[in-house]
Amino acid sequence: MMTANSFSAPAPVARRIRAYFAPVDRATQSRVSFDPAKIDSFSLDAPPTPWIDLGWIQNFTRKSASKSGPIMTGIPASPLEQTRGTLEAQLAFEFLSWTKLTMALATGSQHMNLLATAVDGANAIPAVAVQSGSTVSAIQLTTDAAAGFTPGSMIAVDADYAGQTGYIGSPISGAYLRQPLADPDYIRRITFNVGLVLGVSSGCLILAQPLPGGPPASGAKVQAITAFVDREGGSFYQEWSALFVVAGSQGDRIFFHYPRLQSMAGAEESAMPLDAKHKTGLARILLKGQFLALPVTDPMDGERVLCYRSFMPAAYSLV
Amino acid sequence: MQNAKDSFYLALRSRLAVINPQRTVLVRGALRPGILLEDAEAPVAQPPADVFVMHWGALGAETELPSAMVAMECEISYCTSGTQAFGGLDRGRSLTAMDRELIAILRPPSTPKVNYSVQPAAPMQTQVFWDEPTFPSITVQRDRVSRSARVMVYSYQEQGE
Repeated sequence: MMTANSFSAPAPVARRIRAYFAPVDRATQSRVSFDPAKIDSFSLDAPPTPWIDLGWIQNFTRKSASKSGPIMTGIPASPLEQTRGTLEAQLAFEFLSWTKLTMALATGSQHMNLLATAVDGANAIPAVAVQSGSTVSAIQLTTDAAAGFTPGSMIAVDADYAGQTGYIGSPISGAYLRQPLADPDYIRRITFNVGLVLGVSSGCLILAQPLPGGPPASGAKVQAITAFVDREGGSFYQEWSALFVVAGSQGDRIFFHYPRLQSMAGAEESAMPLDAKHKTGLARILLKGQFLALPVTDPMDGERVLCYRSFMPAAYSLV
Repeated sequence: MQNAKDSFYLALRSRLAVINPQRTVLVRGALRPGILLEDAEAPVAQPPADVFVMHWGALGAETELPSAMVAMECEISYCTSGTQAFGGLDRGRSLTAMDRELIAILRPPSTPKVNYSVQPAAPMQTQVFWDEPTFPSITVQRDRVSRSARVMVYSYQEQGE
């Protein structure tokens, strides 16, 4: 006979929350789902594709704005049933890092890469073609083309713009165009397929991290970038699937899965003093993100839902 | 953390050598810029006068970040009895000169992080940075006036640290 002791677990204890985002293909409206059956095996440090680890976040608050109303019946009227009148949920938090992706998510609009300019400062350095054999973390170029990059260079990898309209960028949409432009570099200006070059060897650019959009597609080109830009206004809203994980102190886990999350507020920052006793001293500048959850249809029963909450209790805790 | 401490100390030492080359100290037969690291020197009953002495204090770490951040409190003490030429009556002015020098060597409030434990020293990827110093009241002990400034020094842990 095998026996074990149990314990009555209090509420999960955690300091911060981990955030993972995955791109929504806007053209096909395909979102990334999360199977709660994998709540135990989901690696927080090496999340499965296509989830991208955005690190720790803080001041995570989520709020349901869904409204229910009673169906009244009888004299005098009394509630017979409830119906859900509106379905809405919002969440907000602060990113603890500034990257292409966190900055894009924390702005309400499209996010752009600043292409490196030639010596004249007016024109972008021309893109160079990606050669065959490239992967998500190694970009093959001709030897001459690779000589234009050094360790520490930042690059954008994507196709030339060819006059298309609608959602631009695949598999991660970075902009929406209502009318064609005349800029062949436009997709590389808005692409999320960016990376940091750590090494250059035999015409190959070795990247520090895999490209978020996957290996370069046929016809893709590489262009050097120097910074990122966003702007207040515009008609584009970022939309991503999101997963937030609370890793409890006893091995318990809470997952919040939002299949469709759109940024809903303009760019905003907050300052957090590094030394709580010295409030006028150095401060960490945090990106504030505010999001609106959009509904999906649950394939299990056809219900429209905004988010899922999964909880895995600690081992041997009473359920 | 050791790389950050070394980088901070050597940055202040080289800045002091530029700002006031006359402020020196004789250590084990070698004349060096007048700033010492307490835990890297032999214990002494009384700290030397007219020299900055650094002492590392409280330590904090923030690990839930993309790169762990370490905060270390550095106390920089200094004292003076003034000069013999003025019979010590200029000790207040001497301390003010050291206040001014300390403020100057703490600007700019960052320095590249360098690994000094290898030969040659290897530059690292990040910067060591620090907050504004705080200057508490001076302490008077007989003919000596002294002060202990405090500064919080921050650095990010890099791969291999």
